[in-house]
Amino acid sequence: MVELVTEHDVERGKDVMRSQIDAKISAYFSSCVHCGLCAEACLFYTETGDPRYTPIYKLEPMRRLWAREKTFWGKLGARLGALKDVTEEDFARWQEIVYDSCTMCGRCSMVCPVGMDITYMLRKQREAFAASGYAPEGLQDATRRALETGSPMGVTLRTLQAQIKHVEQATGLRVPMDEQGADYMVLLSSMEVVNFPEYIESLVRIFDAAGVSWTISSNAFEATNSGIQIGSSKVAAELVRRVVDTAESLGVKYVISPECGHAYVALRWEGPNLIGRSYQFQVIHIVELLDQLRAEGRLKTEGLSEQRLTFHDPCQLVRRGGVVEQPRNLLNMLAPNFVEMDDHGVMNWCCGGGGGVSAIEGADELRLKAFNRKKRQLQELGISTMVTACANCRIVLEEGLEANEMEVEVVGLTDLLAEHLARDKD
Amino acid sequence: MFLDFVEGPFWYTAVVIFVVGVALRLVDIFRHGKQEDLASVQGSAAAGALRTIVTRSWTAPGFTRGAAFHLVAGYMFHIGLFVVIFFAAPHVAFIEERILGFGWTPAPHWLFILAAILAFAGLLLAWLRRVMHPVMRQISTFDDHAAAILTFVVMFTGCMALFQSHDSLRAIHMLSVEILMIYFPFSRLMHAFTFLISRGYTGAAMARKGVNT
Amino acid sequence: MSNASTKRKRRRYRAAKRAALILICCVLIVPLIPYGLSATGSQVPNPGTDLWRAVRQRDEPANARTQAEGVDAAVLINATGEDWRQFRMDILVPIGAWILGGVFGMITLFYLLRGRIPMEGGRSGRLVPRFSVNQRVVHWFAASQVVILGVTGLVLLYGRFVLIPLLGPEGFSVTAAACKEVHNLFGPIFLLAVVLIAILFGRGNRFNAIDLKWFLKAGGLFKGMPASSGYYNGGQKSWFWLTILLGAAISVSGLILDFPVFEQSRTVTIWAHLTHSVLTVLFIAAALGHIYIGTIGMEGAAESMIQGYVDANWANEHHDLWYQEMEAAGMVDVEPNALEEVKRHDNIDFRGFGSPGSPGVDTKKG
Repeated sequence: MVELVTEHDVERGKDVMRSQIDAKISAYFSSCVHCGLCAEACLFYTETGDPRYTPIYKLEPMRRLWAREKTFWGKLGARLGALKDVTEEDFARWQEIVYDSCTMCGRCSMVCPVGMDITYMLRKQREAFAASGYAPEGLQDATRRALETGSPMGVTLRTLQAQIKHVEQATGLRVPMDEQGADYMVLLSSMEVVNFPEYIESLVRIFDAAGVSWTISSNAFEATNSGIQIGSSKVAAELVRRVVDTAESLGVKYVISPECGHAYVALRWEGPNLIGRSYQFQVIHIVELLDQLRAEGRLKTEGLSEQRLTFHDPCQLVRRGGVVEQPRNLLNMLAPNFVEMDDHGVMNWCCGGGGGVSAIEGADELRLKAFNRKKRQLQELGISTMVTACANCRIVLEEGLEANEMEVEVVGLTDLLAEHLARDKD
Repeated sequence: MFLDFVEGPFWYTAVVIFVVGVALRLVDIFRHGKQEDLASVQGSAAAGALRTIVTRSWTAPGFTRGAAFHLVAGYMFHIGLFVVIFFAAPHVAFIEERILGFGWTPAPHWLFILAAILAFAGLLLAWLRRVMHPVMRQISTFDDHAAAILTFVVMFTGCMALFQSHDSLRAIHMLSVEILMIYFPFSRLMHAFTFLISRGYTGAAMARKGVNT
Repeated sequence: MSNASTKRKRRRYRAAKRAALILICCVLIVPLIPYGLSATGSQVPNPGTDLWRAVRQRDEPANARTQAEGVDAAVLINATGEDWRQFRMDILVPIGAWILGGVFGMITLFYLLRGRIPMEGGRSGRLVPRFSVNQRVVHWFAASQVVILGVTGLVLLYGRFVLIPLLGPEGFSVTAAACKEVHNLFGPIFLLAVVLIAILFGRGNRFNAIDLKWFLKAGGLFKGMPASSGYYNGGQKSWFWLTILLGAAISVSGLILDFPVFEQSRTVTIWAHLTHSVLTVLFIAAALGHIYIGTIGMEGAAESMIQGYVDANWANEHHDLWYQEMEAAGMVDVEPNALEEVKRHDNIDFRGFGSPGSPGVDTKKG
């Protein structure tokens, strides 16, 4: 079984950092003119004024390594002692910057004038940090739990089965487990199972109403991927492989990624590259599926939601995932008073807790400061209901709202749809 | 004598270092290779690459206010310098005589002066911001300042030689140009070529996921 | 020896030192007076004055017509040009030299006598934000223009006297050609700089009663006579308005000279030239004072325009009314870079602090 490195080993970290430098990274570092615009896009900088949170500055260790080993002046500087080597101290100092102050939200990548994908670069730099053991304890623990138990929060099959029993009792409908040949295999995030189990109930109702053939696997039901967050491709591949093997053995056509941001990126976009082959099934996000059902006329709602509500775009789903229009289509069907935030869609602001940040205890203070950006977005809109499609965003937003004593309700999109399902005339 | 050296052997040296240096840097970037993307695509990568090469020339939606300074000063400098380099009469004459063998209609003198003014103002404002703004102070390296100052020196010596009255002034300008050409491939000035590659890569990756940026 | 007599001796010694310094300055400056006088030449009357007066159309308006096109094409010999040349050589050059040299000398004298104005209470280590990034960028942008244009302009005016002996005629020819081109190109950029200064430093620069009191106390330049002030003191406000007014006039007259393709007549050009050169000399003289007090002259001043922050003690000593309001607004003892944060979230524009009408100003003070 894959194991996560926790002892400090800077040389291994540097080796991994070296191996991560590909043509894209080379092109990016060659193009960076240090204009600092990325800082204006990053909520950790805009809400603190601390220039250390400038996105490209988070990549300083990799930049220095690249400069020292790949550029003329860098090599000369290295020989003359003018350009310092990447040291243990750098790893130690940058750990906080790389993990606590970056959610890999991708906003910086959208504004860079020379088109650098800084998020991509940071993801690769995390590989080096994870390999060197310089990753936050909270993430390391979550990763270990994920590898050992299947869930980063330690959610076992027993917990899930208990929740499923409640759902079956409440709805009178059956949750199909381990059904061979079903069309869709449902994944869940531990956060949903523990904090928002109403999501499972919503799924059951909607699938029943829309006539979807689906199942959950007792073997692999966890969607989240700690490997993506801590930055270990080995771990990430292992976690993806569990899902892929199970799905292929069950012979499903689709695997549904739940209301979780990075899980979608892990399975849909990084997964095939992690395991080195494409899947025998397709990956679809629950919101994508719901929109498809709506378009096919299989998902009907009634009783419009009168509330004035807005949508918080989960970064990994929308900006980094490509599911941009689907939540809007659904909300427009459901709520005539759906209003967009000023920066919405692919330019919306992060909740501040993605990319593993919400799992790092020491980052709580910074995360709450970063939340001020979302707070201002909501205040400008004067809204009291916010819909989103990621369980981590949900909990991070709720925490931020509570800390700021704001009366805003956070609702999951799937739950909102399930609430307004059209009843069959009996 | 100095002018002969600067317009003769040193010019050829500078040209060779520039052309070979730029080519080697570009080859070096691609040599690193990149992992093939096995995920099924949502949109065309090629279209995305081309689109992003164009769209990144302006700010992302809602971002214009935050980037106003960069936009104004940056374009003043870049557009001004482009017009000066490629459309100033002495430069067009030089290109025709020494480089391409053919030229084109140069800009009228007033446009050349206006472009030069914009270029100087833009460069000065941008460099001063680099020195004053906390973010840019944090991330700027020696290369950033060297490139800005060297470019300013080239422009300044060019201005001094505008009257085309003294060989020494022309020689100093040529010398500074050649130093810039030699410095170019080893510096961040390479962004003049590599920005196409980096914008393209990002645009392709985002478009594959169905995000048009 | 008694204490009193020691004190007397020390006072006498200090007085003697001051007298000696003044004497040295006089010894250096006074010999320049006859030299300056001898530079103005004397005129020999021309025997054909009446003929030439007619040719030069000096007394009657010219009824001449010509088929040649262009402004002033009907003027055979331009008389006003000679007036201008005489003004330039006999009045502008020597008096300008006096003004510039005199101001420089007075500043030197002031420095020797008063020394660098220290922060009386020492540094507190607590920072107060004073100038934003954009203000500092625009200020140094304008400063660079003034330096470039000032130096090249002075070369064009005084170069032949100062540089030909140093560089020789060929060397000066190159220098002057270079300076002329640079001066002409950067001129319009100065106009942009003046406009930016007006935009970024306008707020807070209105004169009020506090400034009058400030002037009456000589701006706190002398020990034992502190002067109250808001965000900008009377001296700074004077310098701002001087920059805007003189700067605008210098720019406009410069543009008339720089682009002679808009059918300006020689008369217009000469008036522009006169305005330009006279105002520039005055502007440079004032600039010397500004540069002095902002750098060597006062401890703690330069960092306001370099880092954007000042020490709390400095603020209290030199801009006390402003400082009080900053303290009340919780803007003293900030973290560096907090300025950007403060502006972003609280939108506190503190340029109005310390003016009458601004809340929290104690007008009875000062």
